[in-house]
Amino acid sequence: MNIHNHPNVALFLASLSRQFPYFAGVIAKQYDAFGDAWLDGFEAELATFFAQDQQRIDLAVRGYGKFALDSMKLQVKFQKTKQYDNKSYAEAASEVYQNREYMFGLYLPGILLSHYLWRHHYQQHVFFEEKFLPLVGGEGFREFYDVGVGTGFYSKEMLTRSRMTGQGFDLSPHSLEHATLLLAAHGLTDRYRGNLRDIIANPVSPPADSLVNIEVLEHLEDPLRFIEALARMLRVGGYGLISAAINAPNADHIYLYRSADEVRAQLIEGGFVVIDQSVDLAYDPRSPDDLVPVNAAFIVTRK
Amino acid sequence: MHEKILASLTPVFREVFDTPNLVLTEELNAKDVEAWDSLNHITLIVEIERLTGLTLTTDELVELQNVGDFARLLATKGYRG
Repeated sequence: MNIHNHPNVALFLASLSRQFPYFAGVIAKQYDAFGDAWLDGFEAELATFFAQDQQRIDLAVRGYGKFALDSMKLQVKFQKTKQYDNKSYAEAASEVYQNREYMFGLYLPGILLSHYLWRHHYQQHVFFEEKFLPLVGGEGFREFYDVGVGTGFYSKEMLTRSRMTGQGFDLSPHSLEHATLLLAAHGLTDRYRGNLRDIIANPVSPPADSLVNIEVLEHLEDPLRFIEALARMLRVGGYGLISAAINAPNADHIYLYRSADEVRAQLIEGGFVVIDQSVDLAYDPRSPDDLVPVNAAFIVTRK
Repeated sequence: MHEKILASLTPVFREVFDTPNLVLTEELNAKDVEAWDSLNHITLIVEIERLTGLTLTTDELVELQNVGDFARLLATKGYRG
């Protein structure tokens, strides 16, 4: 790994080694698994959003470290209880989505960096690039919706890798603010609009040519009702990418999916046809009864 | 300074990192122990919580960079080893 040609990754690794030395091995692990494409992509992401600003990289590393430690501690607890903490959506929203300090201090930097630092999140990105993007690159694809924008990472990916315009929907003003910052860093705000909007209470029309919904379902009390609303947002003949976290406790994970099949069945019941899927483990289980977080991503179209 | 705490933590570190002869010093950190990766770090936290009966918050965990930090944190939370 030639890290010297990747100055932002080098700064990031130095900061990670200083603040969280036990996490530092992740850079070599990801490079061994995914090679130069991963390293170049991570460098480009850091260069655009952090621009060799040591202070901002240090803050992002701190946020990532807290996010990862929080998740890993919850995973140890989950291994014993096999349940998520009993929490309502309103409680999760108050604790996380409407809490600016939590969102910008920990949650959003953590999720943004996890797209490169967590094996299953990067595998989802590879699936997006290799299987989903070719489907939505044609002339008939002019607009996409990103429902639950999070950091804005997948909105940014859709805008940079296609000619489409986009709209993002989220219930967190802090997510929308972060997405705007990320898109502005990439010079993409002119083709995008963010909306603070509940798509169930306030349905969106007309249906778009394409849809992305990345790891939102597990945050909801009633994901099936949400999936039905999502299906109405995709035109017949359009394609969507929908993913969910399985066996993956987090401060705001409410609905426990125990398998990819459960998610797939809900998508079908909610009005989609599943045409491809990628099911990826966060890490290899250390024992047969180890409950490892899984990400399941599905390419869907309308029934 | 925290000899009693280090002595009580030593069996935990040796067990988690599968290193029977590991000698704890306040300066020892993840760079010095090959097996001290992220998964073993969390196992270490859980085992230390079990040993001490204390709960360590995420804000506290963020500050732990070496064995001395563990010992100082546990001491401030009332653990004497």
